[in-house]
Amino acid sequence: MILRAWHCVASAAAFALFGLGGVLLPICVFPVLRLLPGSREQRELRCQRAVHWCFRTYLAILEAMGVIRLQVVGGEALRQPGQLVVSNHPTLLDVVFLISLMPQADCVAKQATWSNPFMRGVVTATGYLSNDLGGDLVDVCAERLASGRSLLLFPEGTRSPKGGLGPFQRGAVHVALRGQRPLRTVLLTCSPPALDRGRRWYQMPTQRLVITVDARSTLDPADLLEPGMSRGVAARKVSATLRDFYAKKLQNLDL
Amino acid sequence: MSSTPTSNETFRLVSEVLQKEFGFRDDEIRPETHLIDDLDLDSIDAIDLAVRIEERTGICFRDEELKAIRTVRDVVELLDGRS
Repeated sequence: MILRAWHCVASAAAFALFGLGGVLLPICVFPVLRLLPGSREQRELRCQRAVHWCFRTYLAILEAMGVIRLQVVGGEALRQPGQLVVSNHPTLLDVVFLISLMPQADCVAKQATWSNPFMRGVVTATGYLSNDLGGDLVDVCAERLASGRSLLLFPEGTRSPKGGLGPFQRGAVHVALRGQRPLRTVLLTCSPPALDRGRRWYQMPTQRLVITVDARSTLDPADLLEPGMSRGVAARKVSATLRDFYAKKLQNLDL
Repeated sequence: MSSTPTSNETFRLVSEVLQKEFGFRDDEIRPETHLIDDLDLDSIDAIDLAVRIEERTGICFRDEELKAIRTVRDVVELLDGRS
C-alpha cells in the first residue's frame, strides 16, 4: 500500500516536472539560445540539443526516484547524424526515451501540440514538423535527412494498443523511399505495462518500470524494391515488412 | 455508378490506375469502394492517383476536389463532369 502510494506520488511529481519543463524551457532557456549567433537552422538544432539534455536529466531523475530503469542496446546508432529512426509506441513517454538518446532529432507532432501551452514553445523553437503538412511533409522530411539531420517517426501515429501493434501509416516509409535511406527500427518495451493507451497516468504498477530500447536493427527499402515498382506498391510492401518485423519481435517477447 | 458508356469507360480507367499504381486486384475495385476505408489510400496515394489520372486524361484535380473524393464513384463522376 505504501509502495503504491509512493509510486503514485512519484508519478505525479514526474508529470508535474514534465509540465514545468515544458513551460520553463521556452521562457528561460530558448530565448538565451536564440540570442546566440547563427542561422535559423542552427538555432533549431541548439534548441533540440537543449531538449535532449533536459530529457536525459528528466529520465535520470525518474531513475533516481525509482520510477523507471532504462536499458539501451545499440544506442550509439541513434547518436549518428542523418538517421531515419522509427519505433513502436507502447507508452506515453516514448518520445522522451528516444530523444534522450538522440542529440539531434526532428519530430513530427500533431497540429494540436502547437495549441498546447505546455508544448507550444518547445515544438516552435525546435523546428518540429506539424502532421498537417499533407503530402509536403514527406518532401520536408526527406530534405532534412539529406541535410544530415536525423528524424524520429512513429509509424503507428499514436500509442500502440495494449500489448500489441496498431495499423501502420506509410509516411515514414515514404520518407525512406524518397530519401533512399534505411529505416533504423527501434523496438521499445515497457515491463510491466504502464502509461499505455487507455490507462491513466496515475494507474502505475507498484514496481519500477523497466524500459528497453533496442536500436540494433535496420530495414533498407532498397532490399525490397523490384524494377518498375510504383511508389504506391513499394510503400505498401515496405510498410507491411516493417509491421511484420515489429509484430514478430513483440510476439517473441510475449508481453 | 452511372450506366452511361462514358462512365463505364471512365470507371475502367480509374480501376486500371488503382491496380497498376497500388497493386489492387480487379475484383477489389467497385464504384462504391471507399478509397480510405476499403483501399487504405492516404494523402500521398491520393496525390499519386491524381497525377496518374492527369497523365492519362489531361484532367487536373483541384485541391478542394481531391479532398472531397471518398469513393471510386466520386472520382468517376468528377472526371465525367470535367470531360
